Amino acid sequence: MSTPDLAIAPSSRRLPARLFHPRRLQGLAPVLALLAGWEIASRSGLLDPKLLPSLLTVAGRAGRELAEGRLAVDVAASLARDIAGFGIGSLAGIVVGLALGLSRAAGRLIGPSFNAVKQIAIFAWIPLISVWFGVGEEAKIAFIALAAFTPVAVNTWEGACAAPCKLMEVARVLEFGRWRSLRLVILPAALPAIFAGLHLGLINAWLATVGAEYFMTVGPGIGGLMTEGREHFHMDLVLLGVLLLGLIGLALNTLAARLEARALRWRHR
Amino acid sequence: MADTIHPIHHPAHQAAARGALEIRGLTKRYRVSGTPFTALQDIGLSVAPGEFVSIVGASGCGKSTLLRLIVGLERQFDGEILLDGRPVAGPGLDRAIVFQEHRLFPWLTAEENVALGLLKSHHPAADKRRLVREHLELVGLGAFAKAYPSQLSGGMSQRVAIARALVARPRILLLDEPFGALDALTRSHLQAELLRIVRAEGITAILVTHDVEEALYLGDRVVVMHPRPGRIAGIIPAGRLPLAEDGGAPGPGFGHDRADPAFIRLREAVLAELGAGHAQPPARRAA
Amino acid sequence: MTNLELSRAAHESALIAGNGRLDFPVETDPKPIGALLRPALRPALCVVEALAFPLALFGLWTLSSRLGWLPVQILPTPEQVAATLADLAGSGDLWFHTSISLLRVVQGFALGGTAGLLLGIAMGLSPRVRRTVEPLFTALAQVPPLGWIPVLMLLVGIDEGLKLLIIAKAALVPVALNTQKGIRNVPDSLREVGAVLAFGRWATLTRIVLPAAVPSVFTGVRYGLTSAWLALVAVELLASSEGLGYLMVWGRQLFQLDMVIAAMLVVGLVGFALDWTLSRVERRLQRWELAGS
Repeated sequence: MSTPDLAIAPSSRRLPARLFHPRRLQGLAPVLALLAGWEIASRSGLLDPKLLPSLLTVAGRAGRELAEGRLAVDVAASLARDIAGFGIGSLAGIVVGLALGLSRAAGRLIGPSFNAVKQIAIFAWIPLISVWFGVGEEAKIAFIALAAFTPVAVNTWEGACAAPCKLMEVARVLEFGRWRSLRLVILPAALPAIFAGLHLGLINAWLATVGAEYFMTVGPGIGGLMTEGREHFHMDLVLLGVLLLGLIGLALNTLAARLEARALRWRHR
Repeated sequence: MADTIHPIHHPAHQAAARGALEIRGLTKRYRVSGTPFTALQDIGLSVAPGEFVSIVGASGCGKSTLLRLIVGLERQFDGEILLDGRPVAGPGLDRAIVFQEHRLFPWLTAEENVALGLLKSHHPAADKRRLVREHLELVGLGAFAKAYPSQLSGGMSQRVAIARALVARPRILLLDEPFGALDALTRSHLQAELLRIVRAEGITAILVTHDVEEALYLGDRVVVMHPRPGRIAGIIPAGRLPLAEDGGAPGPGFGHDRADPAFIRLREAVLAELGAGHAQPPARRAA
Repeated sequence: MTNLELSRAAHESALIAGNGRLDFPVETDPKPIGALLRPALRPALCVVEALAFPLALFGLWTLSSRLGWLPVQILPTPEQVAATLADLAGSGDLWFHTSISLLRVVQGFALGGTAGLLLGIAMGLSPRVRRTVEPLFTALAQVPPLGWIPVLMLLVGIDEGLKLLIIAKAALVPVALNTQKGIRNVPDSLREVGAVLAFGRWATLTRIVLPAAVPSVFTGVRYGLTSAWLALVAVELLASSEGLGYLMVWGRQLFQLDMVIAAMLVVGLVGFALDWTLSRVERRLQRWELAGS
């Protein structure tokens, strides 16, 4: 055993050293191998290039779409929908979650129904929403809002219920009023759960954005781009869509995690 | 109480298993953020078979590290640790440890937890079952064999942990502040229990504690350690009469009466030895 | 035994009898008589309260359809939905579509769950495997299951293979992530006990690592099943000629919202039943945790 017994964080924190650490490169190997295998299979004709276009083809498609300005329009449309739906859904989720958590009557009366309704897989709402709201922008945003709403409401509800009794007793001893207890005790105590809900909601909203664009194929969007690619058998377009979905999902996820860590700094002190 | 206990018949009870511990020139260094740090420096200690040695010292004096080295959880050190003349290399069933937290497996019942101690020993299943039962009875928990740790109080859990440590009949029992997390009443009760059990089993024991009274009450000798670097400052005989030749019943040490003037004098001696390691303002002494 | 020991033993058996908890008298606000009656009636009251809101909604729905507030094409009447449900059940169609959906989700979940479990165990146990696989895994997991549908449609067509793969992918990611997390978070204190008791690799794995990881693994399994069910509905809506999702598409195309709502009810019911079953299994597996509370 040559490692020290105490687990201690490496003292060197210089970025290049970390980035090119052999252990990091180890993880890149399978990624590179996959890409290389893909490229070789595609170029050698081992696999039909129509089924698996080479990376260059995909890159070329990305460049063309970008130059024509369509890509930017699609991405912007998807993002705008995602944010609008997420905003509406998460706001409603926080309000409903707080109401359920703070009012015992509301929790007992509406809670069980809410728990039952959330079991309906989110996509099952699409046919109903498309009848009620059409297949335009409103329907898509309504669907995304619904997808974001559920996890935010559930987590806020749990968080508001979890306001620790001991802290509430402190609030009583200090003779806090309702508003002050809410602002100084319940909300801060519920905050971690609310943020966890918002994070989940953001992921759900992005999933719903893609779904909404698949099912209600009107107007620009990444989902529409992929559907078009599939219908015309343009695999490069489809793969471009997959790439965009992953990248934007990753960016949203990272952003949410950062904001969450930032807002909850006190937990790690 | 001690005379009501019948020694447990153990298939692996060899006459050769004595439990003599010899530590020579033991030094342990860590690297903390690249800076070397000496946890233990030149420790030398001989523990006779059947002896009970207490180790006291302020936190950071390396007393827990010493136990972790003896039990084999940490293997890198300079010097020698010999159990019955054989160097210690890694953990083994000839040594057992009880930690400050009970560390019972929450998904196992009390008896299943104790049985873990026999997982690596080669007894027939029937013998294992009997040993588990007998050791649960030894710690007074025969009735709670099927209870989960979440159903047991802190004191009961710690007793199960003691049974788990003893069931494989180790030659030496190491105790790392085993009662530190318990309330005063439970603690004093378990101290008496531990003394009874250790005497009944005739086992060598080393107890690490920061409670001077506990050290004196339980130990035949009290080792006082000083921090930075961890080292032995002095060894104080606790004054208990030597063990009977057969290693059985304990002598009538005054450990049983904490109000005994001799006990108080010894306590003062240990405290003085401990205090010598600290630069204490004289005002506090006067007060 | 000394008195001290006796009182101690009594104290400890009291602890056990009280299920590990000491009850201290807690000062509370004076309660109305109704509150005193409540304990006896609590289960019944809970059911009544839980049903009040849906009943109110149902009443509103009935009222709306009676008074013709909304056209039937937008909101069918409760009677229509009930009749459609009865029709579908009577003709065997309901069972046919439900069983197809269930079979798909069970197969896909078995495939993805097993793969996720194995991957999670490998990633949890071996840092080398984790370092090697994690970047690729994270990259692929970033794309929602839905995103793979067009790709797989072109690669494997729109048959059963597509559904199976999408459902499996949806189940794999949460199972693998939570299994990995559970294994890596096994407390060192318990690992040390294993070391002291001279456990070998196998005993450490089966006696410490796996049992300690069970709660986290189960979280992953439940989450995986939920997302498998979600993916099933999505993929059936997009490409299927049978199953509950198809039933909804069909109802939507015929503008028969009663059929859509009936199918939604079944989707919700099955999702609830799946989750409930797993939560039962979970409670059984973790009775040691619940024993004290």
